Amino acid sequence: MLAIPGAVFVAVMVIGLWLRRMGYRAFDAWAKDRKWSWHETAVQATAKASALWTGLVALYLSVRVSAAPPEWKRLVGLVLLSLLVVSIAVVAIRFTLRIIEAYMAKAKASPRSIATTRNIATGVITVVTALVLLDIWGIPTSPFILLLAVVIVALVLAFRNVVPNLFAGLQLTAMGQLREGDYIKLGTGEEGYLTDISLVQSRIQALDGSFILVPNDKLMHTTVTNYGRPLKKAAEPFRFYSRTHLKELTGLKAGNLWELLELLKTVPESTIYYHTHHFLEEHQYLTPEPANDFALWVSDVIGDEVLGEKLASVDTFSFSSLAALRERLVGIIEEHLATESERRNAPQGREFYFMKSVSLVTPTSYLAHDLREFVQALHKISLGSLYYHVFEARLRLGRPTNDFSVWMNEYVDEADLAEQVAHLDPYNHTLEGLRSTLVQLIEKRIK
Amino acid sequence: MGRSTIEELRLLGAKLSGRSIQHINSTATGGGVAEILARMVPLLSQLGVSSGWSVFKGTEDFFKVTKKFHNALHGWEKENARVTQEDLSLFLEVSEKNIAELELYGDIIFVHDPQPVALVKRKGEVGRSWLWRCHIDVSRPNPEVWDFVRGFVVNYDAAVFSAPAFAQQLPVRQFLISPSIDPLSDKNKELPQSTIDSVLERLGIPQDKPLVTQVSRFDYLKDPVGVIEAFDLVKKSIDCRLVLAGGGATDDPEGERVLAEVRERADGVPDVHLLLLPGGSDIEINALQRASAVVLQKSLKEGFGLTVSEALWKAKPVVASAVGGIPLQVKNRFTGLLSHGVEGTAYAIRQLLANPDYARRLGEQGKEHVRQNFLITRHLREYMLLFLAVGHREEVIYL
Repeated sequence: MLAIPGAVFVAVMVIGLWLRRMGYRAFDAWAKDRKWSWHETAVQATAKASALWTGLVALYLSVRVSAAPPEWKRLVGLVLLSLLVVSIAVVAIRFTLRIIEAYMAKAKASPRSIATTRNIATGVITVVTALVLLDIWGIPTSPFILLLAVVIVALVLAFRNVVPNLFAGLQLTAMGQLREGDYIKLGTGEEGYLTDISLVQSRIQALDGSFILVPNDKLMHTTVTNYGRPLKKAAEPFRFYSRTHLKELTGLKAGNLWELLELLKTVPESTIYYHTHHFLEEHQYLTPEPANDFALWVSDVIGDEVLGEKLASVDTFSFSSLAALRERLVGIIEEHLATESERRNAPQGREFYFMKSVSLVTPTSYLAHDLREFVQALHKISLGSLYYHVFEARLRLGRPTNDFSVWMNEYVDEADLAEQVAHLDPYNHTLEGLRSTLVQLIEKRIK
Repeated sequence: MGRSTIEELRLLGAKLSGRSIQHINSTATGGGVAEILARMVPLLSQLGVSSGWSVFKGTEDFFKVTKKFHNALHGWEKENARVTQEDLSLFLEVSEKNIAELELYGDIIFVHDPQPVALVKRKGEVGRSWLWRCHIDVSRPNPEVWDFVRGFVVNYDAAVFSAPAFAQQLPVRQFLISPSIDPLSDKNKELPQSTIDSVLERLGIPQDKPLVTQVSRFDYLKDPVGVIEAFDLVKKSIDCRLVLAGGGATDDPEGERVLAEVRERADGVPDVHLLLLPGGSDIEINALQRASAVVLQKSLKEGFGLTVSEALWKAKPVVASAVGGIPLQVKNRFTGLLSHGVEGTAYAIRQLLANPDYARRLGEQGKEHVRQNFLITRHLREYMLLFLAVGHREEVIYL
């Protein structure tokens, strides 16, 4: 009674295992030919399962040829078919998850994104398998499909804003053009380091330390400039300071060139500094290369245009100290007065009033660890901050060159760039023009 | 105004956290000082700086005396600038009353102008720092009156002036801080043409000819009579209208007398419109300035002349006297035209009315000049810097 089914079982097993072996060989050859990278994964996922499927087919056929009652045959057939479906589903899940992991790892997706995608794939295959099993056992599936459709529509409606972001997230991950750690700038202005790409939104850390959450859909549909990975870190970060100043009146005034000369010799250096620099901040819209106050007064009020021109032509950038600058100004006036006999006085109320500048320096929130962070901060700092690091640092605080150049040379190991920045004559620019020139120099270097 | 400007102000505000500022002046309405304080005090508070404003209580006679002080400190030498011994006694008497009654609470007491200057007598008792803010042109003051005021000023920790020429030989530090305008206030905000038209219609000023306008209190030092004389000269060659618009201030008792003299002088001169505007007529002033072809400020003496900045902010060509703080705002031939007398003013008005392109260029540059130097953000920043710097002697202060 069991001989025929036993013989059928053995025969089907032998033939099935042989066919399985031949099948794998053909598959190996095909995959090798096409260099299909998932070959190994496919073999690993199906190796044991295919042996099980052979056994299930053999068992099914042996039951079919047995003398068992028809209802028993039908019942066993359904059980075996269900097992086959479940095992196929298990293999499909395993294979799909390996593909997801491999793809997303390659795209440097975050662990959270990988886990979410795995869960979605597992869920979809499980639901489809359950529907097939219900169908096999003759249970009507239409209500379940309907229910499922309703749930899906409800979810889509509830998360209609999330769905495009979800797809965008998958797309971003798959494309691999943006990676965590990249410095990006969006067409809408946000910029910073990309710290996380999740399925729905991405997180950007701005240079001031704040976080910006950007929906993935927006990331897909706006212009994104990817500056790539962080640059070499500076040995010490650059802290931007801001400088504002108060004008202090000295109560001293000169009504003619002789009085100007005498006071020029004795006023504090902060007075020399004020009268050779304040025009840079106050009247930059009128001229990109302002003259110092002494030159303007001598020309406009005293009416001595020759001396005015000599004083205006003093190249402030070529002096490394205020004492040397004062000496030069005094020298020019002394030389001029040696041949001057006519004493011209300023009209009442138009005397030269000596003032000085009191600087108040405060640290800002801008800190640069590399040149990219530096150039991004440079876009945002106030003109007072730019002024402090370029003008005030060199001549008033007695540093060898401007602060930017010192940092680039000593802490970022960018000697060439440091030299270019040091040799940039800031007196030939408006402050905004100077900012723009510095940005161009640094961007050229980091690109 | 950029983000960095706001960040800078907030940073300074944070540095002043825990200190309270008390402003004291002599009028709550009318005039540039009250106008600035009305904007400045709430803005300081918004930046986290505890800030209050108290008004010194004067009598009508007291304000008559302080008006004489005002005129004398401006260097005015006529009858209304002669200060007698009785005047000084009355000044001291009212000051003593205020010294006794006025509640003083600030860590920094910021006293504006000469009227409340004597409050500094309470310096040892209250306030860590006392600052005196002079809004007047004291470049050539009457020596007796200045010596009297100076006797109080030297007890302050610092004095603040509006122009370099106002600096004095004082044993205390002196700072230069120019006043400012608020671009968002009713007086300076953008106005639609329909509003301008309706305001002018309501004020009865036809727009059929170019308007030449001076907005100022009716005050001898603003020389309204000189304005009419200059207009009379212009009118001979160019057809235009003159608007003289002004209001009063509670601490200025001379307004009505000056207005009467101006009316008398304007009698018989065609196309002159005299407007005595009530307090709070900011939209009207804004509309008048915006409708003008040329804005004048023909002052004989001027503390600063904020009406000049107001006009420049509206990109209007300005003709103004080279007095007080006006040359800081009007860089001659760059941001407007400076004049020195009636004929010079008339000549400058004619130049601008006859050359609209030149006038427009001056107006545009003037607006940029105000944007960079005379907006309230700069003023706020400098006041906060002053509060922070007043205790330091260094020239570079790290906060």
